[in-house]
Amino acid sequence: MILEQLAGNLFQGVVLGTVYGMATMGLSLIFGVLKVVNVGHGAFIMVGAFTSFAVFEYLGLSPVFAIPVAFGIGMALGMIFYYSSIRRLLKGPELASLLATFSFGVILEEGVKFLFTSDFRGFNWDLGKIDMGFTVLPYAKVAACLGSVIIAVLLYLWFNKTRAGMAMRSVVEDGVGARVCGVNVDWEYALSFSLGIGLTVASGVLLTMFVSVGINPYMGGEYTLKAFVVAVLGGLASPYGAFFGGLVFGLLENGSYTLFAQIPGLEPFAMTRFFSFLILLLILLLRPTGLLKAK
Amino acid sequence: MKKTMFLALILSAVFFCAATVLAAELPNKIVIGNPEALSGSQAKAGEQAVGGIKATIKWVNTVHGGVKVGGKKIPLDYKFYDCESKREAVTSLLERLITVDKVNFIMAPYSSSLTLAGAPVAEKYGILYMDHGGASDKIFTQGFRYIVQTIGPGTRYHTGTLDMLKKKDPAAKRLALAYKDDEFARSVMEGTEAHAKKLGYEIVFKRTYPPTVNDLTPLLSDMKASRPDIVLGGGHLADGQLLTQQMADLGIQTKALSILAAVTLPAFQNALKGKADGVMGPSHWEYGVTFSKEKALKAKQTWVGPSQDEFVKLFKEAIGMDLRPEYHAAEAAAAVLSLVLAVEKANSLDSDKVRAAMGDLKFTSFYGGWAIDKTGMQVGHDMIDAQWQNGKLVIVWPEAAATSALQYPKPAFK
Amino acid sequence: MKGASRYLPSIPVLLAYAALFVFGLLNPGRWQLVAQLAFYCALGQAFNLFMGMTGYVDFGYVAFLGIGTYGMAISISELADKGLGLGVIVIGLILSVVFAVLLSLAVGAVALRLRGAYFAIATIGVNEGFRYLIEGARIWNGSEGIIFSRQLREMVGREAAMSLSTFWADVMVFGVAVIATVLTIVYMRGKIGYALAALRMDEDAAKVMGINVTRFKIIAFITSAALAGLLGATAWALKLTYVFPADVFGIHYTVEAIIIVLLGGAGTLLGPIVGGLIYGVSKYYLAVYLPGFQLLVFAPVIIVVIVLFPEGTVGMIKRKLIGTALEKYIL
Repeated sequence: MILEQLAGNLFQGVVLGTVYGMATMGLSLIFGVLKVVNVGHGAFIMVGAFTSFAVFEYLGLSPVFAIPVAFGIGMALGMIFYYSSIRRLLKGPELASLLATFSFGVILEEGVKFLFTSDFRGFNWDLGKIDMGFTVLPYAKVAACLGSVIIAVLLYLWFNKTRAGMAMRSVVEDGVGARVCGVNVDWEYALSFSLGIGLTVASGVLLTMFVSVGINPYMGGEYTLKAFVVAVLGGLASPYGAFFGGLVFGLLENGSYTLFAQIPGLEPFAMTRFFSFLILLLILLLRPTGLLKAK
Repeated sequence: MKKTMFLALILSAVFFCAATVLAAELPNKIVIGNPEALSGSQAKAGEQAVGGIKATIKWVNTVHGGVKVGGKKIPLDYKFYDCESKREAVTSLLERLITVDKVNFIMAPYSSSLTLAGAPVAEKYGILYMDHGGASDKIFTQGFRYIVQTIGPGTRYHTGTLDMLKKKDPAAKRLALAYKDDEFARSVMEGTEAHAKKLGYEIVFKRTYPPTVNDLTPLLSDMKASRPDIVLGGGHLADGQLLTQQMADLGIQTKALSILAAVTLPAFQNALKGKADGVMGPSHWEYGVTFSKEKALKAKQTWVGPSQDEFVKLFKEAIGMDLRPEYHAAEAAAAVLSLVLAVEKANSLDSDKVRAAMGDLKFTSFYGGWAIDKTGMQVGHDMIDAQWQNGKLVIVWPEAAATSALQYPKPAFK
Repeated sequence: MKGASRYLPSIPVLLAYAALFVFGLLNPGRWQLVAQLAFYCALGQAFNLFMGMTGYVDFGYVAFLGIGTYGMAISISELADKGLGLGVIVIGLILSVVFAVLLSLAVGAVALRLRGAYFAIATIGVNEGFRYLIEGARIWNGSEGIIFSRQLREMVGREAAMSLSTFWADVMVFGVAVIATVLTIVYMRGKIGYALAALRMDEDAAKVMGINVTRFKIIAFITSAALAGLLGATAWALKLTYVFPADVFGIHYTVEAIIIVLLGGAGTLLGPIVGGLIYGVSKYYLAVYLPGFQLLVFAPVIIVVIVLFPEGTVGMIKRKLIGTALEKYIL
């Protein structure tokens, strides 16, 4: 009985984990290239969720079509925020960029509240579901999971097979060297910031494919905190690391529930949160480069 | 002769003074202050409350003709600020309302936490503090003198639901509880658990989930394994939608499902469409309740306030949007109505006198009954239970207010 | 700088607090506003003691306020009927400091080994993890928190409880701000200040030079945490008379502390009070005149301020005053 539940939870954890991974890649990309922690991360996810909602509700299209729209919106927001402020803060103290990204988040939250009110929205995208005996999986979740994997693979190909992608990687590895080789570092910064935001907003769409309800302007805070844990699991600076970090996190979160549920007197759900932050601290202490990379 | 002259002089002086004092006591408007939560986590409920208060004030000033005090009809006025759902802001804005704007009465901001934050300041100034959105029972065991509740206490939210289900199907005994882990939902869970034990239910599952949650799958898989007949739970808005959606995802089929707060809002059905069918929720008020002036008068109850449809119209005008008022708005409206009646009854604007008058005030409005106990806790308002049936929200309990029969067992998720 | 003159910069700060305090006394109808401003200033002052001097951004700082709040809440709710009277408040203050120091030792042991963004994320982890531990393991009533208004009233009487909550708690917040100011200047002008200044420039170089950076870092960290504990015990526990974990571990308080310090000028003595006043006053009037829209107005303003004045108000003033007679009063 318990084993069956554990298996079900772990399976669900993998599916959820890919979406978490996808939702963190943007954060890691921005940190990897610019060394800026995007504290407003969750608000960008929220923008994606609203994009998905609007495309489904007002245009009557499947959320799949919202992915490119969201990506485009994210790229545009990224460019605007980069050239208006992030660019000038790169040399300043860490504090400044933390506060700037936090403020972006607030602007987005309040802006979306102004447009859509603070109502809780959702949509019903039902594709049926598959019963696997130990757990039940709706096809919409399968789509979210596949979508995440596809985007992760595309990003990998872009980084490794295209000129633009390789130029960006060169900036991560050696900024001065890249400049010497004729790479326009400022433009690469702008591009990676907006690419990171684009990915984050797009991941908001995937999240609504996973869970299509509860969409509201203040939904992002929780995702910011989770993304931090996931990013650290993956080594903070690596988008692929983040993707695998997401998988591990999904497994930990869902798997530990079954374990904590065996202990009387505890609230297992809150304990899974405690557990994931505990893991975060352990990783930071023992393996700050993340689970994948050796030191 | 001289003596009587003197006496007359004194008497007239006394009358004159009394008249001026009374006139000074009676301003040309009665102001209600409100440090409401209009941004931040409680913004949704706060917006509704402001709309409800504005709508009711409009009704009082136009239809009711103002508040009758000392033989005069004085109009109501409203002054509100935004406390951003933050505790620090509540105290300073509350004091500003009292000392700078010189408001006569205060409406507390939404939620138990924010209501409690302002309580010491309201007590200090001895100003009536109308709690329209703080459902915690514990607020009323603290010995505050000026807090008066309109929203019902948390422990009673799901007791009516259990009574109804017990009556409908005494054989369905396996009960699962899955509430949000916050102060309010926990008090509901406590009340529900106690009542369920009294009715002989078997509690097969009892868990909470954190307030900010985006995936309930592990908890629901756990719950599924306990094979409940009835599921009661929820807490607020987002999590209630999530609970329903993911129960449908996991194919958890129960005979009844009742969720706090979220279910009775139109957003619930907009978000879930067919999956909402058969889901129930307790509520303080719902559009469609059948409280009316005629019924109230027939039952020899005091009736005050607009009819339901009048209220909806006034609400839409007040917020300038085509939005349906929800129970947050109705609660705030009823709180204003109670204030109007109590002021008229006390024939004074003094908070102590008005509070005393509220002690034995009983009335019915479109919101339903209103009466408080010694501590200021709401005891006169019965909750209703609503259910989505074919895309429409109908009232199924109590039988006197029901607009439709309960659909039982709950149809399978579509 | 030698002798007493090196402490001159504390004069304008202490005068500013005194002025705010007197303004509050003269305008009893605005006392809660003054109290809110004092809270923001004290929060900034206490936060700045560590962040400003080391450059480390402790994003989980609110955890120390939260646990301090619990220190006072537990004292009052457990000891109210023991006949100790106001002694309970003293015990509560001590307990809140002890709690905060213990937590800061635990956090410091983990997080202070890390730098930059890693430090910031680790401290967020501690704050959130701690909150979920309280809720998940049902420590101190879990999510239901503690409401102790009644106990406070039964302990000292209705009138006294009221003036504790609406006046004396705020006076104590002023006290915390003043203690934080004094400690900041003593540290800044002491050995620890120079060591931390070296650390802020280049931590590795400072270590190579033989400065025991870790020790000084920990001292500043613990001091800052203890002040936060006191602030929680006064501004959140005594003043509001209840504690819910979801409130007292809210990360937006850390963000507010950062905003205040940055508006005023990180690492300056005068910065937090200037930042706190600017922040508090502007927020208050936005809430009054633009209810519902203040954040939409405030957030872009913050960005403009960080981009145009990265050194903060006091940083800018300081630069303008170099070479004038006023220079030695501003730090």
